[in-house]
Amino acid sequence: MTAVTEPEPALRRRLARARPAVLTAVVVAVACLFAIGPFAYLISAAFKHSLVLFSYPPHWIEWPPYFGNFRYLLEHTAFLRWASNSLGVAAIVTIAKVLMDSMAGYAFARMRFPGRTLIMAVMATGIMVPTAVLIVPLYFLVKSLNIFDTYWALVLPPLANPVGVFIMWSYISALPPEIEQAARIDGCGPFQIYWRMVLPLAQRGLVVIATYTFLVQYGSFVWPLVGTQSSRLFVLTTGLSSLQPSLGATNWGVISAACVLSMIPIVVVFFGLQRLFRAAPAAAGLKG
Amino acid sequence: MAAIKLTGIVKQYRGEERPAVDEMTLQIEDGEFFVLLGPSGCGKSTLLKMIAGLEEPTRGTVEFDGTCVNYVEPGDRNVALVFQNYALYPHMSVRRNIDFPLKMRKMPKAERHAACESAAAALNLQRLLDRPVSELSGGERQRVALGRAIVRQPEVMLMDEPLSNLDALLRVQTREELLRLHRAVPSTVVYVTHDQVEAMTMADRIGIMEAGELVQVGRPKDVYRQPASRFVAGFLGSPPMGFLTGQVEERNGSVYLTGPGIKIDIGATARPPSGSALTIGLRPEHLRLTSDGSGRAGAWTVELVEALGADQLVSLTAGAARLRARVDATAEFSEGSQVGVDFALEDARFFGEDGRAVGS
Repeated sequence: MTAVTEPEPALRRRLARARPAVLTAVVVAVACLFAIGPFAYLISAAFKHSLVLFSYPPHWIEWPPYFGNFRYLLEHTAFLRWASNSLGVAAIVTIAKVLMDSMAGYAFARMRFPGRTLIMAVMATGIMVPTAVLIVPLYFLVKSLNIFDTYWALVLPPLANPVGVFIMWSYISALPPEIEQAARIDGCGPFQIYWRMVLPLAQRGLVVIATYTFLVQYGSFVWPLVGTQSSRLFVLTTGLSSLQPSLGATNWGVISAACVLSMIPIVVVFFGLQRLFRAAPAAAGLKG
Repeated sequence: MAAIKLTGIVKQYRGEERPAVDEMTLQIEDGEFFVLLGPSGCGKSTLLKMIAGLEEPTRGTVEFDGTCVNYVEPGDRNVALVFQNYALYPHMSVRRNIDFPLKMRKMPKAERHAACESAAAALNLQRLLDRPVSELSGGERQRVALGRAIVRQPEVMLMDEPLSNLDALLRVQTREELLRLHRAVPSTVVYVTHDQVEAMTMADRIGIMEAGELVQVGRPKDVYRQPASRFVAGFLGSPPMGFLTGQVEERNGSVYLTGPGIKIDIGATARPPSGSALTIGLRPEHLRLTSDGSGRAGAWTVELVEALGADQLVSLTAGAARLRARVDATAEFSEGSQVGVDFALEDARFFGEDGRAVGS
């Protein structure tokens, strides 16, 4: 008897080839569900009255949608002030960080001065210290500078974070030095080289720092809670926590509405800055 | 235009054992097209950067028209530099690249515009003016780099291997374009290259560098015909000069150079004394091949024949010795056959043990 080997059916071969793709799609779908689920629940809760929020079986979409949570937020809380504080502080810190980090990164990448390596080492050590460890010394520092419970207390401490300097240092180090040399011959001084060449060419690094700083600052909670006391200095995070009463029931609908509104600037900033990642790479000016 | 004078220039980088440029003294005349030629790493680009002001000499002075410019910023020296990799500003259009040096010198907008148009016309760049440089080919980028250099009519134009990234055809075209440009927009040009064809075809004078030192300066023809050292002789010419090393022997009133497989009659002219080592240098085009095995260099075996179109290169061996001859394309040679090698004594160059030329 001879064994007859039939050719594998085309359908089975196609399925076998598609299997890894199907597996990937399933894993990605489950991950998306985990990521999007809480957001969907938050948005759903923002448009529901607190009384029906925990009803069983749950209603994902309430129709007609309930806008009372938003109305309460805008009419009976200082939400707009918290939002303007958050946006203002995050914007100032972001702009200042982008300028300071890019200048420092340029100096470390291109200039040779005594103590350069030592300063960089000290800054690198600073990155390794956890933020929680710094809170108490920072509190005493702010107190001794007489800026406790002022806008300065919100703006100045985050500027000392050296992460952005290292990001810019690595971006600027990778730029071809010939472009800066050409600019020197064309008549640029150090600041003009920084302003006209380094900044436009290191745009991707700036976008990384701007996005990172804005998101960290906008979501910062512990330091604004420690560094300020007055309700007029509340930012969104501390303001939202004040909506949760120490006694009595929490209005989760209002908190959900506040969270939904708080997310809008983050989405706008993220998508707004994203297109700047497509800046011309520096290598475009070199040999073709 | 400006004359450039370098006096005792030394550049020693920290941590390096040898200086990149060592005691270089050189005078480049006003309006001259001077080519610095040498292998990679010999210090020619470092020297160019010291003239530009991008590097500071460790010792020595750089003078433009008799004025020391050691402490003058690059932007104030009125020099332009065309980089090997062009170094265009990638975030600017072609027009803004060419316009940039004028803008930094605060030239009025109308004048800048006219100067840009004129530079673009000289380099046939008009239709590319509003394109970003990232969209240009290598040859176009090279022309933009030239445009940025010529637009402000510098006194000194420095070029650091500007053709090395172009393909062979484009290199020939651009070479001609550069020479035309030098005649149309006269300035003192210092051109760095490791390509001896570029040096020979473009230079008024060539300076040849080896390991940070200037070993010979002269007109291309003179340097080619009378190389001062074995290094220069081997560096210039394609294919390069062939060398045969042996010992001087006197027999029966004649002087011979003898070595493994060779015995060459080098005449009775003034040479090192008998017994001393000597190298004879022979250019391929100076060799004549004879079918009967006669000739000053004796009989050699044809190893390889390479047809080049107008002529052919014949590789020859005699024991361990090797030579190449450039002969007419119509001559017939078969590989493995024996031929005689002859040459005129006045075409040969002799080098002593230290590599320097001996005799005249």
